[in-house]
Amino acid sequence: MAFEATDRHELRSKLEEYARTGDKVLRDEIVGSQVGLAEYLARRFKNRGEPIEDLIQVALLGLLKAVERFDPSRGLEFSTFATPTIVGELKRHFRDKGWAVRVPRRVQELHLRMGSVVNNLSQELGRSPTIPEIAARAEVSIDEVLEAMEAGRAYRFSSIDAPANDDEDRAASPAAAQLGEDDDGLEEVEQRMLLSPLIASLPKREQMIIHLRFFRGMTQSEIAARLGISQMHVSRLLARSLVQLRDRAGAEAAPG
Amino acid sequence: MSGEDHEPMEREDEMGRGGDVRLVVPAAPEYLRLVRLTAAGLASRLGFTFDEVEDLRIAVDELCFHLLGDVDENGDGQVGEARTMDLTYSAAADSITITGRTGASGAVPEPSELSEQILDALVDEHEVGSDGGMVMFRLKKQRES
Repeated sequence: MAFEATDRHELRSKLEEYARTGDKVLRDEIVGSQVGLAEYLARRFKNRGEPIEDLIQVALLGLLKAVERFDPSRGLEFSTFATPTIVGELKRHFRDKGWAVRVPRRVQELHLRMGSVVNNLSQELGRSPTIPEIAARAEVSIDEVLEAMEAGRAYRFSSIDAPANDDEDRAASPAAAQLGEDDDGLEEVEQRMLLSPLIASLPKREQMIIHLRFFRGMTQSEIAARLGISQMHVSRLLARSLVQLRDRAGAEAAPG
Repeated sequence: MSGEDHEPMEREDEMGRGGDVRLVVPAAPEYLRLVRLTAAGLASRLGFTFDEVEDLRIAVDELCFHLLGDVDENGDGQVGEARTMDLTYSAAADSITITGRTGASGAVPEPSELSEQILDALVDEHEVGSDGGMVMFRLKKQRES
């Protein structure tokens, strides 16, 4: 990606300072300034059956790693160094994760398409659409819509008894929080969440979603609008978080 | 629950007119998908919105987990292979009631405070209890509009 010379210079001095100080605030600032690169690379992997929001998260994790590992003394451009790191992270994501349960391609595609269908309909109607309304708009059967809703769970976690691997998300969350999905409510969330160490173990954004849905009583569509992500994404994150909470609650109740 | 005649939709005949659907599946996590799909299918026929169907699916999951959890604890690592979950879905004009029970007798699971909070936000009524020694749950969700 082409940067203006001044930007490039500024980036370089920030990277040098970060390499020296390891200042996390500075690190997040650098990550924030390079979001465009992560998004650009994430988009190159779209249409492979993974929601773009998730790909961007993965790319941001790669970006974070690149910032942490970058050695300014080697004289490389940051983007030259970061690109293979981010692409590697995206490839690994496809290799490791993908759809945990075999979901037919047309259902995957409908699941992804439904994100915008639901969002558009919600805006037009001023309320959450019914399933027949979604089916009519997507020009599929009601059963197909239901299958597609279900597909959101098949993906990225296999079953309730499989330990959820969320290291990636947790590592990515500081960057994610830094990148526009942050919210005034977060601090308040953090305070309330002291009530529940279990919830506190989730990534920040998931904590936020749990809080808004279950403690503030906001609907999924309201949360989606507030966080600027699709409702399908909220739905997936909620489902996944609850499975993780149960796993951890179970682990606490019966250690070993 | 009397099966009121709501506006006819596709597969009316298949679902039956009584308003009750019963599903008996092994008490294992792999079958939760069927349990959720059935709930979502019925709710969508009653005109529940996407939000409401989502809530219902999460609530069903949450409550079924108590059944599975109980079965699992009493088992020997095998998650209730020989046992079943027996679910009854009762559709009224503007609400759906789901009861579930397992063949497992034993201690009634105590839902955590968090679980209670989650269910309060999702459905209108919910309970976990025991019915003749069997672990059971019941939930009811009303359609908003």
